[in-house]
Amino acid sequence: MLPKLRALILAASALLLCLAPAAHAQDSALQDLLQTHAEEVADPGRRSVGALMDDLAASDLPGVARFLERWADKKVYLNKEDGRFYYGETEDGSFALRDIASDEPVGTAPAAAMEEIRPNGGVRRVISGALVEFQLSDPDRAARVDALDSISRRPTADQLGPLRESIEGEPDPALKARKERLANLMTARFGADTETRVAAIERLSGAVDLETRAGLSRILSAESGVAPDLPADANIARELEVGDDLTEADAYARLVGADLAAPLVTNADIRDALAANIEDGAVGGVPVAELSDPEARTRAYAALAEAGTVPPLVTPEEQAQAARAHVFYEVYDEPNPAVTDAASAALSEVEARVARHQVLDLGLDAVSLASIYFLAAIGLAITFGVMGVINMAHGEFIMMGAYTGYVVQQVIPNYTASLIVALPLAFLVAFAAGVALERLVIRHLYHRPLETLLATFGISIALQQLAKNIFGTQARPLTAPSWLDGAWVMNDVVGIANIRIAIFVLALIFLALLLFILKRTRLGLEVRAVTQNPGMAGSMGIDPGRINMMTFGLGSGIAGVAGVAIGLYAQVTSEMGSAYIVQSFMTVVVGGVGNVWGTLAGATLIGGLQKGIEWFNPSNTLAAQTYMILFIILFIQVRPKGIVALKGRAAGD
Amino acid sequence: MRELVRSNPSIPWFLGILAAFCLGVTFLAEATGTGALSTSFVKTLGRTLCLCLVAIAMDVVWGYCGILSLGHMAFFGLGGYAIGMWLMYARTELIVAESLANAPIPPTPQEVEDAIASQIFGVVGASDFPAIWAFADSFVLQMAMVVLVPGLLALVFGWLAFRSRVTGVYLSILTQAMTLALSLYLFQNDSGLRGNNGLSGLQNLPGLGAVPQSVVSIAFFWASALALAAGYLAFAWAVSGKMGSVVRGIRDNEARVRFLGYHVESFKLFVFTLTAIVSGLAGALYYPQAGIINPAEIAPIASIYLAVWVAIGGRGRLYGAAIGAALVSLLSSWFTGGGAPDIDLGFYEIQWTDWWLVLLGVSFVAVTLYAPKGIGGLVDLIAERRRPARTGDLGPDTSALRKTEAAE
Repeated sequence: MLPKLRALILAASALLLCLAPAAHAQDSALQDLLQTHAEEVADPGRRSVGALMDDLAASDLPGVARFLERWADKKVYLNKEDGRFYYGETEDGSFALRDIASDEPVGTAPAAAMEEIRPNGGVRRVISGALVEFQLSDPDRAARVDALDSISRRPTADQLGPLRESIEGEPDPALKARKERLANLMTARFGADTETRVAAIERLSGAVDLETRAGLSRILSAESGVAPDLPADANIARELEVGDDLTEADAYARLVGADLAAPLVTNADIRDALAANIEDGAVGGVPVAELSDPEARTRAYAALAEAGTVPPLVTPEEQAQAARAHVFYEVYDEPNPAVTDAASAALSEVEARVARHQVLDLGLDAVSLASIYFLAAIGLAITFGVMGVINMAHGEFIMMGAYTGYVVQQVIPNYTASLIVALPLAFLVAFAAGVALERLVIRHLYHRPLETLLATFGISIALQQLAKNIFGTQARPLTAPSWLDGAWVMNDVVGIANIRIAIFVLALIFLALLLFILKRTRLGLEVRAVTQNPGMAGSMGIDPGRINMMTFGLGSGIAGVAGVAIGLYAQVTSEMGSAYIVQSFMTVVVGGVGNVWGTLAGATLIGGLQKGIEWFNPSNTLAAQTYMILFIILFIQVRPKGIVALKGRAAGD
Repeated sequence: MRELVRSNPSIPWFLGILAAFCLGVTFLAEATGTGALSTSFVKTLGRTLCLCLVAIAMDVVWGYCGILSLGHMAFFGLGGYAIGMWLMYARTELIVAESLANAPIPPTPQEVEDAIASQIFGVVGASDFPAIWAFADSFVLQMAMVVLVPGLLALVFGWLAFRSRVTGVYLSILTQAMTLALSLYLFQNDSGLRGNNGLSGLQNLPGLGAVPQSVVSIAFFWASALALAAGYLAFAWAVSGKMGSVVRGIRDNEARVRFLGYHVESFKLFVFTLTAIVSGLAGALYYPQAGIINPAEIAPIASIYLAVWVAIGGRGRLYGAAIGAALVSLLSSWFTGGGAPDIDLGFYEIQWTDWWLVLLGVSFVAVTLYAPKGIGGLVDLIAERRRPARTGDLGPDTSALRKTEAAE
């Protein structure tokens, strides 16, 4: 308050008297503050600048943040004539000056009079550190997020105070929570006494986010060490048992690394040493020709070591003895054991919670994969169930649907509208293709299921190559509308892409639709009748040919819709169908043929299983698929007819 | 023998034509004749003979026993891998021995092995021999692997599948799943078989570096022809006589054969395993001529093509499978290799490299629909005689479902 008052009085007196030059009229508290540290401002050094920074931070003046920014950007100049600081910009030979506090233009000055102030790198780091504190309360949300990011990247003890102060005035609840978390984390690391730190750590144990986990493990960072005896004063994380926690070779390597033991002589060392010491066709009395025998080599090397030309071999007994004579341990960087104990307890609690959330996340992934498999397989399941034929070209109907979506997107540029058009159109295209296939080929091959399999396979090759000829071999994009981008995120662990939620909803819709058609419509009644006994159904006046055609079309149509759904998150290629065909068969076989619920069960089992196996071995999806197929082969042993077995023609008898 | 020929009149014809073909190729080859046929074409012909052999095996398991196996190309590939391991090991051993010969002190056996391992597995970032290479240094043991690996796999898989009475379409899909699992497994870098790099350089026979490839190719051609002839005789014997009748009976009506007191599973398992072993042997002859094997060769699509060949050639007759395999695989390489002239339709030019698969797919459907007997059916027309109805000339499934006796 007082400096402001003084500035006011000064400004008023200047105005009244009209005596002082214009520049002096702009006198301000900030300028005064800088003048008191004139030397440090003009020629800042990393050590000397601290007092100035403290004063600036304490002054709470409005222009400080701007000054710091421009100071670091080398836009602050010293006018050598009046010894004041200005912001300056060159304008052909002279400088346009701006006032340091108000940023108002205050006239020009000749270039010769101005001296540019160049803070060095160390000072700039100090400045930007100080700036972060100002940015924490910046009105711009993005600036605050940046400041938080930069703090969490390299937290320092002196940021804790400003961070705490900024929590109170934070309007954004999410950011406020983050600030509180970060303040907790930093208290845990830099807190004044053990109790505050332990309390802060305990508050952290309820979190699951990456930042907290990283912060906690940073407190728990440990270095491995080896010594003849356990150091008394260090905060030991754990002792390592040779044999259990680390192999003998590793233990010895650590001893060598700590200069506590002589380095091992490897086989390559022996070979090189022998090669370097050949004399008259022999090494250490052993002829060179005999040296292909490892024993002869050892003998020759021992002779050399005896003579003192090479370091002696370290025998396994010596290695074991050296390892026994020392203790191997890990020591925390943090000296306070109370803190590390609290942190490791908190971390294990956090990790247990993270594991639970990971299971939840895995469940979501499995459900989304299961819905894709369900969509891909349900068409196959009903055609197989009703007609007893297997359609190897089913995957190509999926591809056809995806390409339909692609073509629609070329015509209708609006992604939402094109999706709304593409879904029914893909159904119609695949439906028509399915009906054509049934009429032209499959109708003639009833009672010859193996040949249907092969004939539809021929169709599949032809369709794939046709798609390749029309659309080329490169993958085509099927872009999702923007409202399907992004993801539903619960926390750092649990999250699912919106598109997968949409596919899940689509699968639910088709499940409901199919159940409705099969259970509540005339067509469904006839389909079920033909499934159970085609001859009897025919006698009752149902035309099995028509039902077969309709069922085949329906199954193919759903494959087309599945193609659009799959194309939205995977790429559309001519081979995309074959990627799903085997999975779809597995789903049908595991679930049981010709039954919507069976397919649902099969899709859930396979989706869950695949995600489960991937979780155990996340680096290797190929292995996951291999194991899954093996599981299915064994599953067929136990339940040859699938989870939901069906009687009738579809049962394959 | 006379009995065998009487029940299989195709044997002298087949062997005669094969012998004439071999002599013709020998007189036209570079190493032994005029040189009208290039070495690479002789290799292609030799490979084709191997494909004929595996097609005959497929015909026995599908056309005679009614098991549409979509896994026989996997057995073929396993045979190739087994022989490829020895070829690669032995050749790398020679190279390593040569490079270590100049070392100041002679290498230990361990050093030699390490050098071979890092040479072979460098591409997948490993330098140790996996356990499955334990026998790779021995030709005899590795040849045993050619027989044992496909045979044991077929035995275990077939035992699991047949004992739980998995039949028909289910069985086909299960064999396809097995093939897919195998190829996915081999695609991994840590499978111990160099991942998707596969095994390469198999055309260079260890110890025969000085022999020109033209001689090697004709030698392999003859070996393939002999294997095909032997395989033809062996399978002709297997499908004739009492066992052949039982096997065909299983194809036409499995339940009926079971009720007659035969142990159907054993017959199926025997046929499945035997054909798998022959497929493995065919693969062991094929891949040294191809020079490279990788997991893509084992992918399910290869086995499906095998079924396509057999179907086009004509199921249920051994020569039909051989004709189908030879014709379709040669046509395929002719079309996709750019040998076929493009057709200009005025508004569109049909390039056969793009359209061959479409043609193959469509003609395959046409054969299935309109000519279930395949190309082999033409032989019946020429011979102007029909097979006796008891062998079920209406195809496996129709005749099984037929309510009345055959019309003639």
